[in-house]
Amino acid sequence: MPKKPKARSHSNHRASRASRPTTPASSSQRTYTILDYRLERPRIELRQVRDGDTVRYEVSGDLSAPVPPIRESKYLGKQQCIEIYRWMLLNRKMEAALENLYKQGKVVGGVYFGLGQEGCSCASAYALEPDEWLGPLIRNQGSLLVRGFSPRDIMMQYMARAGSPTKGRDASSHFGDIQKRNVVAPISTLGDLIPVLAGVALGARLQGKNIAVMTYIGDGGQSTGVTYEGLNFAAVQNLGLVLFVENNLWGYSTPADMQFLIEDLAERAIAYGIPGVIVDGTDPCQVYDAAHEACERARRGEGPTLIEAKMMRMKGHAIHDAAEYVPKPLFEYWKKRDPIARFENFLVNVKKWLTPAEHEKLLAGVDAQLEADREFAVASPMPTPESAAGGTYCEEGCHEVKPKYGVPTVKSRKAPATLRAESAVHLK
Amino acid sequence: MPTLTYLEAIRQGIWEEMERDPTVFCIGEDIGIYGGAFKVTDGFIDRFGPERVIDTPIAESAIVGAAFGASLTGMRPVAEFQFMDFIGCAFNQITNMVAKAHYRWGAPAPLVIRGPSGGNVHGGPFHSQNPEMYFVHTPGLKVVCPATAYDAKGLIKASIRDNNPVIFFEHKYLYRRIKEDVPDDDYIVPLGKARVARSGRDLSIITYAAMVHVALEAAEMLSKEGIELEVVDLRTVSPLDREAIAETVRRTNKVIILHEHVRTGGIAGEISAIINEEAFDSLDGPIVRLTALDSPVPFSPPQEEFFLPKPNDVVREARKLAAY
Repeated sequence: MPKKPKARSHSNHRASRASRPTTPASSSQRTYTILDYRLERPRIELRQVRDGDTVRYEVSGDLSAPVPPIRESKYLGKQQCIEIYRWMLLNRKMEAALENLYKQGKVVGGVYFGLGQEGCSCASAYALEPDEWLGPLIRNQGSLLVRGFSPRDIMMQYMARAGSPTKGRDASSHFGDIQKRNVVAPISTLGDLIPVLAGVALGARLQGKNIAVMTYIGDGGQSTGVTYEGLNFAAVQNLGLVLFVENNLWGYSTPADMQFLIEDLAERAIAYGIPGVIVDGTDPCQVYDAAHEACERARRGEGPTLIEAKMMRMKGHAIHDAAEYVPKPLFEYWKKRDPIARFENFLVNVKKWLTPAEHEKLLAGVDAQLEADREFAVASPMPTPESAAGGTYCEEGCHEVKPKYGVPTVKSRKAPATLRAESAVHLK
Repeated sequence: MPTLTYLEAIRQGIWEEMERDPTVFCIGEDIGIYGGAFKVTDGFIDRFGPERVIDTPIAESAIVGAAFGASLTGMRPVAEFQFMDFIGCAFNQITNMVAKAHYRWGAPAPLVIRGPSGGNVHGGPFHSQNPEMYFVHTPGLKVVCPATAYDAKGLIKASIRDNNPVIFFEHKYLYRRIKEDVPDDDYIVPLGKARVARSGRDLSIITYAAMVHVALEAAEMLSKEGIELEVVDLRTVSPLDREAIAETVRRTNKVIILHEHVRTGGIAGEISAIINEEAFDSLDGPIVRLTALDSPVPFSPPQEEFFLPKPNDVVREARKLAAY
């Protein structure tokens, strides 16, 4: 039996609707619960130090702590775990292929990686139903694969090809699909997807269906004002938003400690009056379990959940950035917590759900798929110059706008159009 | 035919669309029980319920973001901004998230962002602005600025039915000052089409919103002197009705462009360029700009009066141009 996740208490916070206070230690104290799924709490500190004439970051603490096992999922069975593992492999190997395409000069612009974050991207998106929605960040290329885009779509995006989902008009993970895969295309500025996904849930609710909608924000992006606006809006409107706060320790070159002072971003949930959960972002089972519970809550119409996933961005901000500002021991610490290596060990050695032969076959299948997609993408044409024009506006007949989940039922009320006294109007 | 104010006409337009189409809903600050700061949505919550008349936190980015998200599921949100001066708070959502959606990833965004703009009500620098040019400069958005009650109803209905994001600037000076017969029935005024508000042979004045009435007042005064002004009301500032602009210049050969927003980077510059491209040979005089000053909108009445273009300014410039 999997262990019950530990609950941590925080005192001196205002009462909230969702995180009900447990019995206070004294009448002047209030306590709140943050569910923590982790099997280890890294005790590592990063400091900015002045070294002669230069400033750099230095890491200290328990860097040799033993690597925790994968936490057994409460919900995932053998087949589902293997599927998530395959998505994670596809995610990582696709990014390796993108790196090669970049080195061959075939990529236009940069490449963004989710190295070390594949478990979080893939297992979170895996918790959504097909008719639910996702808004990815730049590193959630795995989430896009799970939602039904193919590696060739992402490769063509990076190579600015005519056949890319945006037909060459935007790069990287900046694409979406409102018809089938229900993905909102991200924009470069961070936090802006949060109110948008909340609005998707609002639209569905007006059409009579409570759905889960999922998006992400980082330790850096959560500093933006729109993050607050969007999550607070979702909270007061009780919308089924599942917000993953991917705390990967670095916002470009700025460490998390310079973005916020609290230890766990999940604590922010208390102030929104919604549940907060902490997971080890390198453990896909924990990520899935938290995502699944949050999605179920959303489907029951109980409102949003904030899930902080702790992990580390294992490359620079983008391919141009060698991340030399990151202390080497920090890379070594998190490399031992590689989500794919640990999940492989879990499936092959711990659970024995994959024999070595089956594992080899799975790897070969991923490689074959990527090779076929790479060939397709590389052979595909660039867009014509003239295709830059047009499509700025939705012209007559180009799209049919109709409710996705059914025509909203309108309750009939008798109130007539009124015009009350207008004496109190602001500025006449 | 009932007589409605400009504000009542907007209210009736939104009301009718909500009756007609269950995907239309309203979202904004204080629009529910209070009925909005200017009472545009007064009574809506009783008729349509709090599900379709949603009071939000004070969070303009969240309002636009949520409206956009709902529109992706096939809804037609009408988002109210308490004052259009506050639209800067949602600038990124509007210009980057919403405006680029169709071009980038083929997502239509059938939403309306509406609210009061404009000066002459002594609202000071943050309750008097005309911020439409930021959005005229952003491809993917439509910008609508009605001048009459009839147009206000027809244009808000057309904006709600449009599959593109429309920013609908309601001039607060006109809310209760303009009153006219407005048909009870379901009619729309198409976006992107200007109208000739007054015909005249001598010179043209191209304008929109509250300045249409300034131009009409000036036209009355000038008519007594034998100068016949043609007043063109653009109604939609983006997309501009290039043909109507060119046509009026071809008829009168002289043109004044009048707008309430500041001079530099104003729509007059763009309209001048269109005239240059479409009707240069028809010009018999320089293109004249009449605009607000290049400053924030001042608060004190004598200062604000100095800041805004007035009928006498039009008369003065028209006399000069007519004599050119």
